[in-house]
Amino acid sequence: MGDMIKGNDAIAEAAVRAGVQLYAGYPITPSTEVMEYLSWRMPELGRTFIQAESELAGINMVLGFAFCGKRALTASSGPGISLKQEGISYISKYRLPCVVLNVVRYGNGLGSLRSGQSDYFRDTRGGGNGDYRCIVLAPSSVQESVDLMYLAFDLAERYRIVTEVMSESALGQMMEPCEFPPMQELTVQDWALDGKYTHERRVAFMENYVTTAHENNARYEEIKEKEQRYEAVGLEDAEYVFVSYGIPGRVTHGVVNELRARGEKVGLIRPITLWPFPEKAFEQVNPNVKGFITVELNDYGQMVDDVALSVKKKLRTDIPVYCLPYVFEMVKRKDVFRDFEKIRQGQWKEVY
Amino acid sequence: MKELVFAGFGGQGILTAGVVLSQIVLYKGWKATWLPSYGPSMRGGTANCTVKYDEKYIYIPGMEEPDLLLAMNMPSFQKFQGVVKPGGTIITNSDLVDSKGAREDVTIVEVPCLSIAEELKNPRGANIIMVGAIARVMEDFTMQEAIDGMNDMFRKKGKEKFEAQNTIALERGYRLLDK
Amino acid sequence: MAVARKIPELTGRPTTFCPGCGHGILTRLLGECLTELGQDHNVICTIGVGCSCIFDTAYQGDMIQAPHGRGAAVATGVKRALPDVVSLTYQGDGDAYTIGLAETLNAAYRNEKISVFVVNNCNFGMTGGQMSWTTMPNQVTATSVHGRDTALTGMPIKVPEMIAGNFQTAYVARGTVTDAKHIRELKGYIRNALKAQIAGEGYSLVEIVSPCPTNWHMTALEAIDQMEKEILPYYTLGEFCKRGGKQE
Repeated sequence: MGDMIKGNDAIAEAAVRAGVQLYAGYPITPSTEVMEYLSWRMPELGRTFIQAESELAGINMVLGFAFCGKRALTASSGPGISLKQEGISYISKYRLPCVVLNVVRYGNGLGSLRSGQSDYFRDTRGGGNGDYRCIVLAPSSVQESVDLMYLAFDLAERYRIVTEVMSESALGQMMEPCEFPPMQELTVQDWALDGKYTHERRVAFMENYVTTAHENNARYEEIKEKEQRYEAVGLEDAEYVFVSYGIPGRVTHGVVNELRARGEKVGLIRPITLWPFPEKAFEQVNPNVKGFITVELNDYGQMVDDVALSVKKKLRTDIPVYCLPYVFEMVKRKDVFRDFEKIRQGQWKEVY
Repeated sequence: MKELVFAGFGGQGILTAGVVLSQIVLYKGWKATWLPSYGPSMRGGTANCTVKYDEKYIYIPGMEEPDLLLAMNMPSFQKFQGVVKPGGTIITNSDLVDSKGAREDVTIVEVPCLSIAEELKNPRGANIIMVGAIARVMEDFTMQEAIDGMNDMFRKKGKEKFEAQNTIALERGYRLLDK
Repeated sequence: MAVARKIPELTGRPTTFCPGCGHGILTRLLGECLTELGQDHNVICTIGVGCSCIFDTAYQGDMIQAPHGRGAAVATGVKRALPDVVSLTYQGDGDAYTIGLAETLNAAYRNEKISVFVVNNCNFGMTGGQMSWTTMPNQVTATSVHGRDTALTGMPIKVPEMIAGNFQTAYVARGTVTDAKHIRELKGYIRNALKAQIAGEGYSLVEIVSPCPTNWHMTALEAIDQMEKEILPYYTLGEFCKRGGKQE
């Protein structure tokens, strides 16, 4: 087992080991340690680090670099990722791979530096203009941050899609032991621009949008089919199933373990891919389940919508879907116990 | 699963003390999480972190109900004494903390770590003295385990030149509480 | 004996720019310079949003269309990925000097080894002739229908002077396309800008003051006349930062 390491440092090193060749970004708490780490680590390996003038510039440097077929990364937090949406939309249009790290902070506008899950809707729905999706991976530990960052580049290239790793403030700042994967060889994609104009030209106004739309649909369906990832506990006999991701998902897992140890019939789905949402997990749920409960770190609940849709799709029932939103910071074990009891007593209104 | 809160002024080596204790835990082959105060409370001179450890995976890294509080200054003592688990322990830096009027359902351990550090001519070693005291109070680590775990950490960081000093400081903290 | 010059393959297809527009001449000159420098199969062009998009109709090489204004950032990414490939941007004044002023200036500020070509036709052409930061005082546009009021909207921006006067860059110039003499001069500027990049000297920018008869609501000849009388006296032609770092 490795030594204690901060989540942000660990995820930066994981990107290095995955073969990232460019980092371009702009500082913002609580993601800045990622860029600080890469500012010395990338040059040490002869790779490129650019402190850009803005998030807009950062993501567009990634766009140019990714067009040349090399692995590129940018990182930021809530408001900074908003600024990057224009570039993410373009990168998606051009079907380029790249990895975006969002160390989520709570809130609207400037928000707060506290841990939150406020960016779920934006990031799982594409976020910018147009009709595209990004794969979104949500780790719940430092080790998982490392493993998912390493995976993110492979998924991005396999499907030529923007892949986001959605960390959160607390996960970026906390320390845990972790093991690092081996250093990958640097690669160049065979479709890359090389200045010799040997490849197909992909420029504005020249594509067949209908063909592209059909291709994208097929690609998204393939991703939904093959790439759903989640952790599940006790679904077969659960009367209530908790659904929660990231650090709140980890805390909820602890709560579910305690409840089950007491003989309570509860289960857990911890989505690891937020898009594609792990609908398949819902197929394993006890058909007599009484309700689903999301535990989220935001104001009103966001993922609860996807849970309700998955319940409709996979269970075809009208059982209640509840949300326990805890606004920001850490979800407290005691609060979840208390509010779960209220749900069982009929004192908590369902969302759907 | 054990929960410890380390709190004090920025510059007192609070966060480092938490990391040292976490590394002692890892050295023993157990698991640990270290969660600092962050966000708005990062700025402004106070610092705290929550360390949890267990032989198994730790699901809940946040502060819930600490078994032990290390209070290196008066504001931390006042801020956190209320959250300590009934029957838990508060180790105070008695050079700065007046624990009169403290809760009666917790054990107060007073360690004049600044005076001791001065006596040892190691003014920056107060936090290590406290790590020794904590290792002793938790009863999960022998003194040698604690020393080895700490020295292993500093060696990996290329800071082995402080090893002798650190060892003396940790030993002193551990032995203070020998019965 | 007269020698027929070959149309450069790189930019040899017909363009769809408006009649009398200056873009077509720049397109041809860029193709000629890149070919003459042996770089026509070693170049990635980042185009902006606006009339510069139409460059695409003539140009056959590797190309990226950047989000509006972000050309210099995209070209930076390209250059860092492929340091031996010529990375240039082809933009208009609305793109490079208005919405993209930050990216343009910051790339110059970093002395990024890219070449930026900006067609300044004193308005947003593609969207139908709105005021841009280079619109002349009292010039009538779709968003300054009584003529540009500089007291409210600022004076026309002179980016080459701004860059050459403030940043360490490799080459900065302003040329035009009004007649054969100026076109020859402009070709020299373009060649210098590309050579500066190829030699690894740093950032280069050439602004091309260009007529826009369609949106100025003039004939091509009236537009040239307007340029000579009013526009070129304001936008001084020449090299503001010569290769070797000497400034004028």
